Amino acid sequence: MAITTPFNAAAAAYGNASKLINQAATPNKDLLAQTGQGGGPNFAEMLASQVQGVVDTGRASDQMSLDMVNGKANVVDMVTALSQTEIAIESMVTVRDRVISAYEEIMRMPI
Amino acid sequence: MDFNSSLRIAATGLHAQTARMRVIAENLANADSAGKAPGDEPYRRRIPTFETSFDPDVGGKVVEVGKLAYDMSDFTSRYEPGHPAADAKGYVQYPNVNSLIETMDMREAQRTYEANLNVVTVTRQMLGRTLDILRG
Repeated sequence: MAITTPFNAAAAAYGNASKLINQAATPNKDLLAQTGQGGGPNFAEMLASQVQGVVDTGRASDQMSLDMVNGKANVVDMVTALSQTEIAIESMVTVRDRVISAYEEIMRMPI
Repeated sequence: MDFNSSLRIAATGLHAQTARMRVIAENLANADSAGKAPGDEPYRRRIPTFETSFDPDVGGKVVEVGKLAYDMSDFTSRYEPGHPAADAKGYVQYPNVNSLIETMDMREAQRTYEANLNVVTVTRQMLGRTLDILRG
């Protein structure tokens, strides 16, 4: 009895470890399958749509500034458009910085 | 995005107060606009009205400037026999604009404008502080 308990514990530990390894392996497969099929919005698409949004708001505020110079637009409209662009750019830049730092973190990871 | 909606709603408030300010400017500028001939009606004071409307773009209720109503109160009359618009008794009809009321209205417009500007500022601060979490 005294000998079998440690043996059981070791077997259970081995079982747990193999389960963990399997768990670690399966999500990777799922993730790859998902990006391959394009089931959900992947990260690149998300980033691209965000950048597109920033570009669009930037264009709108550019147009507003031009109208303002030509005397066609209102000060309030111009300031609102510009501050919206500023906010969009600021959030995009923050997310980009975060993504790049995460990428660098991964690259530094010893394999 | 909610922050964008609050910004845009505050912008409509700014617009409304701008329009109100324009009407006040009209009233004050025309405070002495009597007619040219005895039968002429002088300038009639105008009152801006504001309406609430739902903007599906913004996803909230925004304020819009409604019709500019006329103030139907009586004109003031002053005794100025030499004026070209003076009637037989020497009285001239002057607009029903009270510069004191206009000044108070102007102050109110200014305060409301500042309140809306504060909404813009605070909204931007809130967004900035939220983004600061990512920068941490």
